[in-house]
Amino acid sequence: MQGVKIAEIPDIEIDPITLDIIEGALKNARHEMDAVLFRTAMSPVIREQHDEFPMITDPKGRMVVGQFGSYISEMMDNFPEPVEPGDVILTNDPYKCGGAISHVNDWLVLMPIFFEDELVGWSSMFGHMMDMGGPLPGSLPTNAKTIFGEAMMIPPIKIFRKGEAVQDVINMILNNVRMPDMNRADLMGIVAGCKTAEKRVVELCTRFGKDTYLGACQALLDRTHRAMSALILQNIPEEPQSFEDWVDDDGRGHGPYKMKLTIWREGDHAFFDWSGTDPQAVGPINFYLNEEMFKMFIGVYLIMVFDPQILFNDGFYPLLHVIIPDGSLLHPKYPAALGCRTHALTRLFDVLGGTLARKSPEHTTAAGYGTSPYMLYSGWDGAGDFFYLMEISYGGIPGRPIGDGMDGHSWWPLFENIPTEYLESYYPVRVDGYTTIRDSGGAGLHRGGNGIEKRYVYLEPGEISVHDDRWLTYPWGILGGMPGRRSEKTLLKADGSKERLPSKCDEVQVEPGDMLVYRTAGGGGWKDPLDRPEERVAADVAKGLVSEEKAKNDYGVVIGDSDATAKLREAMRAERGDVKDFDLGPSLEDILAACESETGLKPPVRQEQLRWATMETPEEAMQRVRGQDSG
Amino acid sequence: MAYRLGVDVGGTFTDLMLVHDESGDVFRIKTPSTPADPSEGVLSGVNRILKESGVDVGDISHIMHGTTVATNAVLEAKGARVGLITTKGFGQILHLARSQTPGPLAGWIIMIKPDPPAALEDTREADERMDAQGNVVDPVNEDQVREIVKDLIDSGVETLTVSLINSYANPAHERRIKEIIADMAPGFPITISSDVLPEFREYERTLTACMNSYVRPKVAGYVKNLESSLQELGVKGTVNILRSDAGLMSIETTQEKPVYGILSGPAGGVAGALAVSRRANFEDILTFDMGGTSTDVALCQHGQPTITRETELGHFRVKVPSVNVHSVGAGGGSIAHVPELTKALRVGPQSAGAEPGPACYGKGGTEPTVTDANVVVGHLPPQLIGGEMQLDVDAAKAAVQTIGDALDLDLHQAAQGILDIVNENMAGALRLVSVQRGYDPRDFALVAFGGAGPMHANAVAKLMGSFPVVIPPGPGLLCAEGDLVADFREEFARTFIRTVDQADVAEVVSILRELGHDAQAWLERENISPDSCSVDYSADMRYYRQGYEIPIAVEIDALEKEGLGLLTERFNEIHEQFYGYRMPAECEIVNLRAVGVGKVPHPKMPTADKVAEADPSGAVTEEHKIYFEGDWMPTKIYDRSKLQAGNRIPGPAIIAEYDSTTVVLSGFSAEIDQQLNILINPNQG
Repeated sequence: MQGVKIAEIPDIEIDPITLDIIEGALKNARHEMDAVLFRTAMSPVIREQHDEFPMITDPKGRMVVGQFGSYISEMMDNFPEPVEPGDVILTNDPYKCGGAISHVNDWLVLMPIFFEDELVGWSSMFGHMMDMGGPLPGSLPTNAKTIFGEAMMIPPIKIFRKGEAVQDVINMILNNVRMPDMNRADLMGIVAGCKTAEKRVVELCTRFGKDTYLGACQALLDRTHRAMSALILQNIPEEPQSFEDWVDDDGRGHGPYKMKLTIWREGDHAFFDWSGTDPQAVGPINFYLNEEMFKMFIGVYLIMVFDPQILFNDGFYPLLHVIIPDGSLLHPKYPAALGCRTHALTRLFDVLGGTLARKSPEHTTAAGYGTSPYMLYSGWDGAGDFFYLMEISYGGIPGRPIGDGMDGHSWWPLFENIPTEYLESYYPVRVDGYTTIRDSGGAGLHRGGNGIEKRYVYLEPGEISVHDDRWLTYPWGILGGMPGRRSEKTLLKADGSKERLPSKCDEVQVEPGDMLVYRTAGGGGWKDPLDRPEERVAADVAKGLVSEEKAKNDYGVVIGDSDATAKLREAMRAERGDVKDFDLGPSLEDILAACESETGLKPPVRQEQLRWATMETPEEAMQRVRGQDSG
Repeated sequence: MAYRLGVDVGGTFTDLMLVHDESGDVFRIKTPSTPADPSEGVLSGVNRILKESGVDVGDISHIMHGTTVATNAVLEAKGARVGLITTKGFGQILHLARSQTPGPLAGWIIMIKPDPPAALEDTREADERMDAQGNVVDPVNEDQVREIVKDLIDSGVETLTVSLINSYANPAHERRIKEIIADMAPGFPITISSDVLPEFREYERTLTACMNSYVRPKVAGYVKNLESSLQELGVKGTVNILRSDAGLMSIETTQEKPVYGILSGPAGGVAGALAVSRRANFEDILTFDMGGTSTDVALCQHGQPTITRETELGHFRVKVPSVNVHSVGAGGGSIAHVPELTKALRVGPQSAGAEPGPACYGKGGTEPTVTDANVVVGHLPPQLIGGEMQLDVDAAKAAVQTIGDALDLDLHQAAQGILDIVNENMAGALRLVSVQRGYDPRDFALVAFGGAGPMHANAVAKLMGSFPVVIPPGPGLLCAEGDLVADFREEFARTFIRTVDQADVAEVVSILRELGHDAQAWLERENISPDSCSVDYSADMRYYRQGYEIPIAVEIDALEKEGLGLLTERFNEIHEQFYGYRMPAECEIVNLRAVGVGKVPHPKMPTADKVAEADPSGAVTEEHKIYFEGDWMPTKIYDRSKLQAGNRIPGPAIIAEYDSTTVVLSGFSAEIDQQLNILINPNQG
């Protein structure tokens, strides 16, 4: 980064009105980035499902608006040459950007924003590419042992120099992917989105003056810092609180993997310590968690739970301290495989919610369907043309303080399902049904959402992959709420046979007429189901979302009979006693013992420690973080 | 039979305008609206305008009507109980929606999911299946369909919707089920999705079809009742309803497809603004309609509104062609507040509404609104023209002071701050319809109307660089004129998904011709004289497998001569204009469309015969002061009704009239044109 004039952030007062105007303009610019990409991208994962993330930063690379963490200073410190106006940098290597992106499918684009030859910020955006080359379509093999078994890695590299495309580099990259046109379109859409942000920031500098703009960025960061300091003092206890949960397996028969989080506060500084989490996995379920990214997760989560009005940005990062032992599932050593990190990424939110719930249970939610389930299908059609479909599925949203969890919705924001008519127009597949699974949501005063059942009928021979989790452990309920039902995948062959598929598998051969019944997990319930108003239980039964049987067994409601309901509820209360804070279902021991009989699948086994990736001790990790954060 | 009558029902007033086709004579009245049954206000208005004009009721040939009955039914959740029949396996289509939860991360924690227009317990699955190419996979099981239809009707649903997978490719199953229902329950209102929206994406199509059913009984009842009441009055002409895309549709079509008029109100505003600006010789305009609780903006080019294929209403995205109006939840009644944790100044989305209204209305409101801020800085004089209402300046000051206290600003800085924020929000909305779609707002005039539009227009235009600001006479309600000049319009479309390479130009042309015939037949049925008719053709295009289409206008002759490359070329150009790049990728046709348009003659509106002196002093009513950049500046208040064509008014100035107040800022001047519009421009040099 030598040779680049980085704008100084002036220490000036910004009047509150100008500040609010600049805040509004930056928020608009961030939404404009999304809009440009959605309308131009080709891959349904970005376009229909919205798997992409924008941000605008200040000159130091701190996110002022957007939806991911600050990684730029870390990445650019090692960048071998100066950046100039019109340059665009691309990478997909999680190990080269401190985990800002966490698998090679994510293409991260970074563009410097200059105003009168000074660097005033960065715009950046990443999106999930349908394919990045490597052994399997989708580039997410469930059995990869290192990142080399996944796909090509692009180090941070310029793909535009001073506004001119570096064709050699782009051609080399596209030469390695299965559908270069799609990657090209998605990449151009991401670049166009970043350019939009650049244009808006330059306009703001012109209109208000560079110093006012930069002072406003700082003031926006400070504003969030103050707000978060108050949130920490109010909501994080001084006494450490812990919670643990599991990722079921690594796709190679190992598991389950423990994720443990301990939270406490010292003054208005909060500590989030992942010590006690299992060592990194052999299979690709490792989640290279960027500390700054995790701070963003915490921040957004706290804001949503406690005060949704606050603008989210990086300003509060100095107040949070994140300890992740090197060599653990959440901070694996190079070259660990990372492709299927979505399970640990999602479980992280379950664990975060569970830990915070220890002290303010009224505010937090139960556990959800617990991952981003994928279905991949590829092959060659009758005309000899290659086809490849990847679809993200959804499931039961947890019961929440505000109400029931939604049935079959996405826990990740803004993702959408792919229309059946789109699937059937472009792929040799027919959807036999798409619905939520009755009774799969955990009972509660506010019930968990139902999981999804999607039935795919394949019309051409090909191979499918499944990525899911929560087939073994249960999405837990909270404060008396009950767990949601687990996920399962069954392949009904055209010949009448039936096969239960593991929750993570690749290269499953399918023939025309075979049907995959793809079921995701439900969400856990929130608070005591015996307190759920009888008429709401009856309404769910009338809608077909809950069965009469479950109404009776879990809610104590005899449909159409209030007297019987009152009696039954009384008896159930007496028998049950006090409700549990958390209902995780049976003990892990019992789950493993019953695994084969209940699921038809062999239970996973605990993994041996990898010789090349010894884990940092909790003490070492703590010492490292305290050293970094103070200096 | 030579008069046409435009009738627009607003929240407060119903606006009527009667025009003679040949002479262009115009009569206009405003009468109070009657929200409980809007037709009462309409009828009393019709009676009054006939009486005042002396026109014979039998001489009215057409009544053009904009109505918000459908909009309100959706916004107030007071539509019909809708039964829905889907394909087997898809009964939860509306319940699942697109599975989306709002941002940011963890936004699901506070999401409130709206009830869909058809409830799950009123949804049944039909045993049938069509594939994406329109081939039958499973035929309709008629016995099973009869069972579920009976079940639904017995359960008490008021209307039925049939929306089946892949019906856009082949509507035969939907049509068959419609026949079965009609056979079982003659006259029962049925909507089939392929009629309302023959396009792919099943959720959006089903939602739109159910919305149609949801508003149908209310709208159908209203228009039938209105038509018969008008006939009782002696009206022999036809009644037509303004669609969301600012075209007109017949009463029959309205009863079948009321969802096409779901944004009739805002469409009338845009059509009215266009009518005004065309007469003032501005073809490229941004419309700015700022009311009490919300503001609508739209972009019009070459005298035509931009049409979008999708519109948001309440929580729902409904796919019907609509004037591309962007709505923001901020207006004169929006409340300013300072959240404790962030100490930021926010304006809206809460509004003081009509009751209690802004603090200055003296009806018990104490929270600071945009209107109060306008009073504090002097933009809104304490005494409104007509003298009906005296504003409570002290109450406004007390309310705005609370913002000053929270932000450590003085009263006037706080008021100016509220106005700056709200103007910025307005500019953000205008940027969305202009800059974000590749248009330069400096090439557009800003036509301001609505109760609060003229007060903010100058400041907003300054942010956008959009001049002149055009403020038509009577800007509080100019929609009736929009109804009057609207064209008859109906779309005929078919989904035809092919890459340009695979498509055959002869096939495309023949489909367009067929659709064109349908459009011609419709124009004939509407009794529109052939020389006023035209048919426009377009194709929705995208790069292969992109998710969003751009409508590309095309002429059949040119297409035949130059081939499909013409479509590719035009699409590439427009893609580059919108998004800044084109791609070497294949282009794909998605929908083909013919739009039948029946033009109506435009009324001749009054123009000043002679141009007066520039000096406007004859219209000054009082001396006043407004707060500007930290100082109070002496400002004259003008009575608009006394201003004459040719008058020039230097800013700062306030121009007051019955239903609105125009602010001209320092550094700008206003002049009155021959149509009596106020045109505001920056001073030269």
